[in-house]
Amino acid sequence: MLIRRTERQARRGAFSADQTSERGLDRRSFLRRSGLAGGLAGLGALSLGAVRKAKAGPPPPAGAQVTIRKSICTHCSVGCTVTAEVANGVWIGQEPSWDSPINRGSHCAKGAAVRELVSGERRLKYPMKMANGQWTRISWDQAIKEIGDKMLDIRAKSGGDSVYWLGSAKMTNEGSYLFRKLGAFWGTNNTDHQARICHSTTVTGVANTWGYGAMTNSYTDIRNAKTQIIMGGNPAEAHPVSLQHLLEGAELNKANVVVIDPRLTRTAAHATEYVRLRPGTDIPVLYGMMWHIVQNGWEDKEFIKQRVYGFDDLRKEIEKWPPAEVERVSGVPGEQLKRVAQMFATQKPATLIWCMGQTQHTVGTANVRASCIALLLTGNVGAPGTGANIFRGHDNVQGATDVGLDIVTLPFYYGLTEAAWKHWSRVWQVDYDFLLNRFVDKKIMETSGIPLTRWFDAVLLPKDQVAQKDNVRAMFVQGHASNSITRIPESMKGLAKLDLLVVADPHPTTWASLSVEAGRKDGTYLLPAATQFECKGSRVASNRALQWGEQIVKPIFEAKDDLEIMYLVAKKLGFADQMFKNIKVDNNLPEAEDILREMNRGSWSTGYCGQSPERLKSHMAHQADFDMITQRAAGGPNKGDYYGLPWPCWGSPEVKHPGTPLLYNTNLAVMDGGGCFRARFGVERNGVNMLAEGSYPKDSEIKDGYPEFNYAVLKKLGWDGDLTPDELATIQKIGGAKPETVSWSTDLSGGIQRVALKHGCVPYGNAKARMNAFGLPDPIPVHREPIYSPRIDLIAKYPTLPDAKQFRLPNIGFSVQKAAVDKGIAKKFPLIFSSGRLVEYEGGGEETRSNKWLAELQQDMFVEINPADANERGIRDGGWVIVTGAENGSKAKVKALVTERVGKGVVWMPFHFGGWYEGKDLRANYPAGADPIVLGESANTITTYGYDPATGMQEPKVTLCQVQAA
Amino acid sequence: MATVCARIRIVVAAIALVLIAAMAAPVAAQQPTSVDPNAAAVKEQQLLQQFKRVQGLGSIPDTKSYVIEQPQGRDWRQYHEVTLPAVGTVAMLGMIVLLAIFFIVRGMVRIRSGRSGVDIVRFNAFERFVHWMTATCFVLMALTGLNITFGRTALLPVLGPDAFSSWSLIAKYIHNFLSFPFTLGVILIFFMWVGGNLPDRTDLKWLVQGGGILGRSEPAAYRFNAGQKIIYWIVVLAGAAVAVTGYLLMFPFYGTTIAGMQLAQMIHGTVAVLFVAIMIAHAYIGTIGMEGAFEAMGSGTVDLNWAKEHHSLWLEEQQAGSGAGGMRPHPAATPAE
Amino acid sequence: MARMKFLCDADRCIECNACVTACKNENEVPWGINRRRVVTLNDGKPGERSVSMACMHCTDAPCAAVCPVNCFYTTADAVVLHSKDLCIGCGYCFYACPFGAPQYPRVGNFGSRGKMDKCTYCSGGPEADNSPLQYAKYGADRLSQGKLPLCAEMCSTKSLLAGDGDIIAQIYKDRVAQRGYGSGAWGWQTAYRETIAT
Repeated sequence: MLIRRTERQARRGAFSADQTSERGLDRRSFLRRSGLAGGLAGLGALSLGAVRKAKAGPPPPAGAQVTIRKSICTHCSVGCTVTAEVANGVWIGQEPSWDSPINRGSHCAKGAAVRELVSGERRLKYPMKMANGQWTRISWDQAIKEIGDKMLDIRAKSGGDSVYWLGSAKMTNEGSYLFRKLGAFWGTNNTDHQARICHSTTVTGVANTWGYGAMTNSYTDIRNAKTQIIMGGNPAEAHPVSLQHLLEGAELNKANVVVIDPRLTRTAAHATEYVRLRPGTDIPVLYGMMWHIVQNGWEDKEFIKQRVYGFDDLRKEIEKWPPAEVERVSGVPGEQLKRVAQMFATQKPATLIWCMGQTQHTVGTANVRASCIALLLTGNVGAPGTGANIFRGHDNVQGATDVGLDIVTLPFYYGLTEAAWKHWSRVWQVDYDFLLNRFVDKKIMETSGIPLTRWFDAVLLPKDQVAQKDNVRAMFVQGHASNSITRIPESMKGLAKLDLLVVADPHPTTWASLSVEAGRKDGTYLLPAATQFECKGSRVASNRALQWGEQIVKPIFEAKDDLEIMYLVAKKLGFADQMFKNIKVDNNLPEAEDILREMNRGSWSTGYCGQSPERLKSHMAHQADFDMITQRAAGGPNKGDYYGLPWPCWGSPEVKHPGTPLLYNTNLAVMDGGGCFRARFGVERNGVNMLAEGSYPKDSEIKDGYPEFNYAVLKKLGWDGDLTPDELATIQKIGGAKPETVSWSTDLSGGIQRVALKHGCVPYGNAKARMNAFGLPDPIPVHREPIYSPRIDLIAKYPTLPDAKQFRLPNIGFSVQKAAVDKGIAKKFPLIFSSGRLVEYEGGGEETRSNKWLAELQQDMFVEINPADANERGIRDGGWVIVTGAENGSKAKVKALVTERVGKGVVWMPFHFGGWYEGKDLRANYPAGADPIVLGESANTITTYGYDPATGMQEPKVTLCQVQAA
Repeated sequence: MATVCARIRIVVAAIALVLIAAMAAPVAAQQPTSVDPNAAAVKEQQLLQQFKRVQGLGSIPDTKSYVIEQPQGRDWRQYHEVTLPAVGTVAMLGMIVLLAIFFIVRGMVRIRSGRSGVDIVRFNAFERFVHWMTATCFVLMALTGLNITFGRTALLPVLGPDAFSSWSLIAKYIHNFLSFPFTLGVILIFFMWVGGNLPDRTDLKWLVQGGGILGRSEPAAYRFNAGQKIIYWIVVLAGAAVAVTGYLLMFPFYGTTIAGMQLAQMIHGTVAVLFVAIMIAHAYIGTIGMEGAFEAMGSGTVDLNWAKEHHSLWLEEQQAGSGAGGMRPHPAATPAE
Repeated sequence: MARMKFLCDADRCIECNACVTACKNENEVPWGINRRRVVTLNDGKPGERSVSMACMHCTDAPCAAVCPVNCFYTTADAVVLHSKDLCIGCGYCFYACPFGAPQYPRVGNFGSRGKMDKCTYCSGGPEADNSPLQYAKYGADRLSQGKLPLCAEMCSTKSLLAGDGDIIAQIYKDRVAQRGYGSGAWGWQTAYRETIAT
């Protein structure tokens, strides 16, 4: 009542920024809350006080204790801390995470709405089974029994490779690791996750250049850059909190912000220079820049001499790209490129930021390689403000990649060789022969699996074209969308043919709705998995830092923790005892901490060995100690550590390596996070030295390049005496007859690493980065037109690679490209089709489209089309249109967004929608009450054939289509 | 990314973009290939000076939310706070004062020749029903409407916030719901009486003679004299105006924008207070202003002499057309109240 | 005496909608009611800017002036609040508001307006601070706990500023001086009859 008004005012009293009363704000926290802290150079160092324990949001029930729990946002790879207030087991409010040195209280639309995920209105509530065309509720016991029996039956007839294990970057690191281990113990390498379709090409391209497949620097380090080039990424929508660092950094440094993209994105709106290129011409544009750099002598000659291999080979390719040719192919004028090239090469430090605009192409690996080469050419690697800042997609996609939830390797990039299997059998403490016997044969055990992009090809192709015992017959999908995979019309046939489809996910996902549409009446199971806020464990952000998330609330309804689902499956399949030998299991739930400890024991190759659960938890508990820019703790129990111990964090936890915030940074000592390029590709090639020359990390005892460390190298250097007897014993036990071959990555004692570090050396050696990455399909990146290119005049000169067999399947891209030209596809489908991200949704989008706070903000699937193209077709803004694709007579009914954001001849669709198929609303196909609020056509209904030869990456960024008014 | 759903591209925005493009042109001229998105940023003051409001695109379907700033709400506020109360007070109080003076000076207009004792039917039951339905609605809507404009000043201090809000909420519903019978009434009135209310030659004479109220002799008139015709057309036209604008306000954003609704409210308010003032005069003349007038809408019959004096031509028509039909003597003349 | 204001630095705003969902989350705002929204100007063209807009808590607030039942009041922190017990849902504040802040749930017959709802600067309404009743009607009461509105606290790029007008004006001034451009303190002239000289 109004009568209370005066009373209230009097009670509140003066509320002044300078007041330090208990009720008011003290000045410091006020400034922080006003957005000032860190916003300006002078005030950036304001240290942040203890977190306030007061709460807001719905008042807790009377007498209930409110506790604060911290976890990590699951919606992108920035790694924002989520601070939750929990009362009586209910998540009642979110507070800004001021102390996080990454997000400093901020969130994007998704992060600010995560609390909704555990309220569960649209969640899958209990196990369901498709029985005679009806979704039927079943018990967990029944579900696991039926699924297990069917799998064992398939295994008996077709071998382990006929079950495809599709995991997720949404799982914790422990979950992803365990899923890979599950695949290994089941006996297949057909274990994959989202990295295949987002950054597999980055990982391959970057690792083949300088050693590791990850972002070299960090989001916060971009603050140091004088020139930021964002090429093929839209972080304003995909990684909004990163823009805090990009924009503030640009403001403070008056930095150049260049966006090179076919769309004038929301990121480009804040750039100082926008370059529009034709989709799929990144390599010509990058070579165009390099042409100007070399022409004007702007390259970093000293850096190239000391730390780069293959510059002469590169020069020949650059010469093929004078400005006129670049403009002919990409549409980018030479003058503009010259200006950008000059900024990049001379206004240093400069960083190159990319995302799926570069990676999701048939030439994805080559794109990424060209980007790395541009950085090497200008010496923009291995120092603050420089580097390949690769923005990954999911909260743990870097981690899931690292832990080997992948078709080409065991955990931590050990590969699939016998040595790798033996290493892991030692870590897992099982016999190598036990693992060998799980597989059909040794050859298939050491052969890369099938990429998830092609699961349906592996189901549908004639048996003789699939290089394993039998076709894929069962899909076990735990946390992966189906609508984010290209060629949906083809995948529908695959769905129809599968013997078994299991989807373990918080939501039914488009696997459920499309499988019903495809005609599946039996053999489909939906298992309710918990969200990551209902689980605990570590997540690896794009900057390689690990953050430990607490369980905020218990899984709701009948949902189960990912780890528990895996345990139940392993138990049913009969190898749980072996698989969980060193992992404590409590009431079917494996303990995340124990899994991390097992990872620590085996992950020497990647430097995941120092991040014990105790250290990670301490970092989360003392976030305020870490500096926002350097990420280093100035005091407190973690003094000297970098936040989240970004890998490589060498040695055992006791070595107390602080983590490596910037890869390959020779300005720091190794024990301070310094490093150098990895010696991964030999010491010499054709008489050319592959090791670094005159460049080495600060305080290194070896003042030159050196190969990777093994026991033999230690002996040669006379450092073997530094090994303790225990370490030596372990090395000898592992090495058996040949202890010399035991290396920094296979020495389970950590002794070799410890000794190398002691002498200021990096365990992996000190080599040159490769401009010429021999071994890749195109060792020097070569421009190749997309499979479906509108520029048929260029295909003859820049054709895609010849057909070949890759990853157990034929890749017939060349034939498809040729057929498209012969059939005149570019005439019938004259518009370039591209796809991308919206800020409100993530990935396949089922989770975010089920979130009422997010779904309200994007209620319709749409296609962006240039006004000129719209006018020609009589399309009006907001009207319905039919988009038709170049394969399978595919079509999609969406709304038109007529905008100059896309250039003439290009259309663009967001890829988060699903639940419609070719104009039909599939809402009825979801189990009742578990349908997302917003449904729409999937962009991938229109996408077409095209796979990167090095990774099996799909091509959702360039194909052809036609649009007409509906 | 703005959804495409129900997007409105208003001319304002289009012009803004053209202008901005024009302003950016010199920069582009120096560096033909350069696009510096920061340098071309839109500025609030430019938009406001040019277009009086700031409008863009949002992603929620609610297109009205795409207008982020429209300072003209201040103009409307001025109208609502100052203009309307002033106009309303002057019109209504002024009318009452005028009528009071008139009554004191002139008194009730009597039937000069006295009552004949014979009545003639003037309005049938249906006509009277329509009249009174409309009139009742009008009175209640006038009171509840005036409450919105004057209640805060006049009633709130008396009733206190809670009681006043409760009353005002009821008043809002009364106002909204009675709009339907009121509108129906106005429509019926229009069709029912439009035949007798078309202007003709007699009206001029009637007007010239001032309706005979001040003079000695009564000008000849058909069923409705010029004064009544004026009231009729005011009721029809003002009724239509308040009905149309009222519905625009009751169904927000159906075919209107904020600016449209502000205008609708201004028309509604202004017409309504003037309407009320005129209806006060109508009520006066139909009751204490003229002997024998009320019974026309009361019992539906009037005295023959009253008809002779005020509507002689109508009476002739009636008598010629139907003989003595419709006329009946009644035992005792009752004076009009 | 603090004078609470909002300031959206449009040169920082990336239309991420965090402010919108933070508001929904903190105040449990139902579908269809948008206390805060982000609008993009010049969408898809060079010069594109986005502005996050909600109730600006005006000086001499027009909504309060025109309310027929006088349900608005201004707190000591200059936050403009209203009583839903008194509001009759007439819509007048929406006609007067320069920022389109008032929202009305649709209730009952012919889209009739229910009790008006708007941004409370995360400071509730007339009920007792942090009481369940206050939360149910108005949402969170952060200000009484020494916290600022969650929309601004969670802003991804620190574009949306909340706090005492003088302090946030100074922050904005310093930013513009540092970076060399600024598209203006959107809405300040209209809401507060002042601009920030930069």
